[in-house]
Amino acid sequence: MIKQLVPGQTTAREVVEKLGGPNEVVQLGRRTAYRYDSSTSKSALFSLLLVTFANQDTRQDRLWVFFDEDNNLTHFGATYGSHRTQYAMPWEDVHEASDNESRDASRAGVGK
Amino acid sequence: MRGSLCCLLALLSVSCVTGEFAQRTVNEPVDLQLLRQLQVGKDDLGTCLAMLGAPVDAREYDVAADGTSGLALVWFWSRQVGWGLRASWSITREASASFEFDWAGTNMPGCVLWFDHDLKLTNYREGLVGELLPKRTRPSAAASTQ
Repeated sequence: MIKQLVPGQTTAREVVEKLGGPNEVVQLGRRTAYRYDSSTSKSALFSLLLVTFANQDTRQDRLWVFFDEDNNLTHFGATYGSHRTQYAMPWEDVHEASDNESRDASRAGVGK
Repeated sequence: MRGSLCCLLALLSVSCVTGEFAQRTVNEPVDLQLLRQLQVGKDDLGTCLAMLGAPVDAREYDVAADGTSGLALVWFWSRQVGWGLRASWSITREASASFEFDWAGTNMPGCVLWFDHDLKLTNYREGLVGELLPKRTRPSAAASTQ
């Protein structure tokens, strides 16, 4: 759907018809911007009597679309991170590039 | 001293107090190498979005009398790791209360990009978001109706 967005051609109405209502509408002077996002969290908990080890990893897919004062699309930018969330222990680095690459490869439209 | 110890033992006997070592991560850090490749006065909104992806927040700033404005894009992320205490105890058979204390800080690292009225990049900075964020220039809807 996002690949169908064409700056200079797509209108705000068409964006809403394709993607639904945005999470937030921001006024930027005479321009406007819509934010779409979706979050995913994965939590892991390991308890040993008086000590608990916990990890919570939260990431987002985000899309911002920017319109001029005539509600025509001028720019858009997307970030895909929700598929990268991990179950882990608190001493583990959940932002390692190798982990991200393997998860990107398994998500359609994101991996190379 | 003995009284305090008795109170502590009594509390432990009816509750569950544990130490907690926890990590909480929210969002991913922006690639700082990419960020530092941005060229003020040359890059614009389109090239910055292509390089860094979608921001977490977008705000207007420098609103002119004719209604045009500049734009600030904000990215932030959080990685909190540390020890804390978690306590919970039964109030009745059906209800319980819990208490959690974390040592982690509250401000988050991030970066802000500023664009002029023509959407050219005029500045960018990395640091703590609370110190970087521009103040909102318009009153909230609730305030404006009063």
